[in-house]
Amino acid sequence: MSVEGYELRRIGQHGVVIVPAEVDATNSGEVRRALLAAASQDLPILIIDMSGTTFCDSTGVQAIVAAYRQAAANGTGLRLVATAALPILTVIGVDQLIPIYPDLEAALAARP
Amino acid sequence: MGPASRAGLEDRLRDIQAITDAALSRLDDRELLAELLERTRAILQADTAAVLLLDFASGELIATAAAGLEEEVRQGVRIPVGRGFAGRIAAGHKPVILDRVDHTTVRNPILLAKGIRALIGVPLIAGGKVIGVLHVGSQTPREFNGADVELLQLAADRAATAVHSLMTQDDRIAAQALQRSLLPFALPAADGAEMAVRYVPGEGAVGGDWYDAFTLPSGQLGIVIGDVTGSGLQAAVIMGRMRSTLRAYALETSDPAEVLSKLDRKMQHFEPGAVATVAYAVFDPGMDRARICSAGHYPPVIASPSQPAGLADIPPGLLIGAAPGAARQVATVHISPGTLMCFYTDGLIERRGRPIDHSLALLCQAVTAQDPDAACASVMAAMVGGAPAQDDIAVLMFRRQPSRR
Repeated sequence: MSVEGYELRRIGQHGVVIVPAEVDATNSGEVRRALLAAASQDLPILIIDMSGTTFCDSTGVQAIVAAYRQAAANGTGLRLVATAALPILTVIGVDQLIPIYPDLEAALAARP
Repeated sequence: MGPASRAGLEDRLRDIQAITDAALSRLDDRELLAELLERTRAILQADTAAVLLLDFASGELIATAAAGLEEEVRQGVRIPVGRGFAGRIAAGHKPVILDRVDHTTVRNPILLAKGIRALIGVPLIAGGKVIGVLHVGSQTPREFNGADVELLQLAADRAATAVHSLMTQDDRIAAQALQRSLLPFALPAADGAEMAVRYVPGEGAVGGDWYDAFTLPSGQLGIVIGDVTGSGLQAAVIMGRMRSTLRAYALETSDPAEVLSKLDRKMQHFEPGAVATVAYAVFDPGMDRARICSAGHYPPVIASPSQPAGLADIPPGLLIGAAPGAARQVATVHISPGTLMCFYTDGLIERRGRPIDHSLALLCQAVTAQDPDAACASVMAAMVGGAPAQDDIAVLMFRRQPSRR
């Protein structure tokens, strides 16, 4: 199952989902569904790519937390790529939960 | 279709429209449904009409209103989606016509006992989702046709819109009432502390923002600001539980990190799936020092009479409900006389198209060490202006009383 507009890309053992440029209450529902679907695929590693995300409000962060819980239940390791969205992820403490990388290459290269 | 029957159909449509509109203005969904059912039954020259509404929690259709089939409502008939006549309509999202009614085609024994010989039913759809089923029955054998389906679907659409808006409205009114009842009626008096608040419900559904301020037996002052994920009644209910839980733990220990850890553990056990951000500050009796712990909440802004405002240096902590056993740290903030602290929820600063750090900088510019009520007014003017708030906004200003000259 996947959500339209949110393709789950496979790179080797890793799955990658790209988050839109802006995430707020108007689209966080679909982001949440897309992330949950991706986190339910029994992938060893899922990378949430927010490198193109310039605005993410707290509903977006909550979607990520929901994905984290789903991934943890499935034994999937979660990684985040974020630059502009980093401040809010840090304030809410997501960085304590999920490792955050500056770009996709670093997230792919990281050791589990 | 000939002109005569077209005129006849238009008459019928007008009837239905008039009924729904008249009933709508009274804002009572049961009356509205009752009237609509009576009229639908008459127009289709049928014997029974009934509405079953979907209970999302159980996935069952519950008989809610009926004409000529009142037993269904009085006996609380429940039909699982996908089963029986009404259940098939809800599952398939489309009309079903039955010209043979027996235990192989219907699940509800009342329909059989009532001697119903033919049935026609359509889904009630609102916001793209099935919210119920409307069906009409005849005690004499007959074949319902496509024109009957169209009429019934029209009645169902009007009913669905009305029911949906009333349900949403009920939910909203209940959430607002609950939220109002949970926010403190008056801020507590604490020696040396001055406080003011603003609370603006969002334009969308009411959410789970809250603030709280209370004195403790030790003479300490507790200030809480929080935001439960989601909106509507569900978020408001969880907010209420978190508020009273936090107060209970605040009486047990004056360590804000311990209070939030216990709150987190309680929420994860009893409200799995609930997610919230909370900041909790405990002020010493002299108001010269506060110990603050944040669970994923934005740090307060601090402005002293001698220094420009800035974000309090508080270690970010994981939000409530995310993962078990999160480590929580406390920051100690020293407060000189006249220093102001601004606690707020994300609705104040989050705007699409504006990066968070930019918003936080704007907020810091707007906060100055002044009377708390005046500070609330300046911050709301700077951050909200005349734009309607999409999300709830809660702001609590604390100031340590300036020293007398």
